[in-house]
Amino acid sequence: MFLLKRSLFLLLLCFTYQSYAQISDFAHKDFKKADSIAQAYKDEGLQNLTELSRKLTSNLDTDVERFRAIYKWVCNNISNDYNLYLRNKHKRDRFKNDSLKLKNWNDEFRKKLFKKLLKQQKTICTGYAYLVSELSRLADIKCDIVQGYGRVSTTDIEKLTLPNHSWNAVWLNSKWYLCDPTWASGIPDPETNRFTFYYNDGFFLAKPELFAVNHFPLENKYWLIDESKIPTFKNFKASPIIYGNAYKNLELHIAPNQMHKDIRKFENITFEYKLKDNIKTENVRFLIDNGSSQLKVKPNSISIKDKLLKIEFQFKYSGFYDVHLYIADELISTYTFDVKG
Amino acid sequence: MKTQLTLTQRQSFKALSFVLFMMLTSLNFSSVYGQTTNEVASSERTIKGVVTDGKTPLESVNVIQKGTRNGTVTNKAGEFTFPKKLKTGDVLIFSYLGYVDQEIEIKEDTTFITLELSEDLIEMIGALDTGKPYKSKRKN
Repeated sequence: MFLLKRSLFLLLLCFTYQSYAQISDFAHKDFKKADSIAQAYKDEGLQNLTELSRKLTSNLDTDVERFRAIYKWVCNNISNDYNLYLRNKHKRDRFKNDSLKLKNWNDEFRKKLFKKLLKQQKTICTGYAYLVSELSRLADIKCDIVQGYGRVSTTDIEKLTLPNHSWNAVWLNSKWYLCDPTWASGIPDPETNRFTFYYNDGFFLAKPELFAVNHFPLENKYWLIDESKIPTFKNFKASPIIYGNAYKNLELHIAPNQMHKDIRKFENITFEYKLKDNIKTENVRFLIDNGSSQLKVKPNSISIKDKLLKIEFQFKYSGFYDVHLYIADELISTYTFDVKG
Repeated sequence: MKTQLTLTQRQSFKALSFVLFMMLTSLNFSSVYGQTTNEVASSERTIKGVVTDGKTPLESVNVIQKGTRNGTVTNKAGEFTFPKKLKTGDVLIFSYLGYVDQEIEIKEDTTFITLELSEDLIEMIGALDTGKPYKSKRKN
């Protein structure tokens, strides 16, 4: 009887747990099992998506773990085709004022892309987002493709007129979450430009406020932030540049909220971030580029309290500077300053 | 103390029997439902078909019986013969990367399926994160 009572209690507990689920629940989730399942099916092709989705998810108990296995599999098995990306970008820029030609190109390119994805497991953003969404749907998990603007260090902000990036929003425990499988999967080798798998966990169920610094969705419902905080496109384009490593190290990017600032000599500039984990202050440094040389600089004051990193800095000489923030040896963000005398 | 225990025991027994009752009821429902479809269904038969994109045959389209793991793929000519005999009311799901999935219910007179899959009209885009440090353009 005692056992029966206990199981009833557990049953009740399950319901309570589900109805109060929040993002912090996932913080305690161990994704080892999901990750090892994704690893075990590494050589599985895309010929049978239904079967692939079943293999990845059938031995996992929760939707978040099932989604994790799918997401991780896509990130670790699909490579980003840099040439394909360049060709598409070139054509889209060329046809941007001719809607018929742009549509024809899109139709032709889509066919090519899906063939390449199926046969060579190579693609560009939308292919990643499509696959994550498709495999999730087959596992009965609601997952949308989000189309919009993505901003990286090489984006020519003046020419950013057509949407250039796709990512995912996933519905887990009655809430939407964001992730970016393309940027999580790897980066091109700086020397050879060949794509290299390098999984970045920071893009998995990322914090929407951080995501908003370099993701601008076409549909407002995918911001997942307070409506008053949604930036205009103009403000979005003026945001600081954050890199993949920012997602690994930061919880929030607080200040400065603009990429560029005109300032005076000895004017105080404050940088503020919420960190994921506490770090040592000696691991924080700036790399400052004045156009002709680069200098490693220890900021005037660095403080870390309750994972809140605060940096104060002043320029002694006038000039135009690119300021890169590094934590340990990882590039986090970039700002520019025009310092006048 | 003893009476108290019996009381809680009795209470939990009541709750448990209620759960059991609900479970049995739901089980009952599905079995009743299963029976009716069986009655309507005519004999099991082999289903064949062909899948195209409207112009050309589609190879490697997944054909799966809904709710099961029974399935096959189309050949070069877009044709398939479903490996398991199906009955009226069964549903086949056709899926292919880049195309919208379609579900086809087996009707009483279905033996051959001619299907046209339509493309998923999604715009393909992609921005690459190179991780390269930003560099200001300077007029020197």
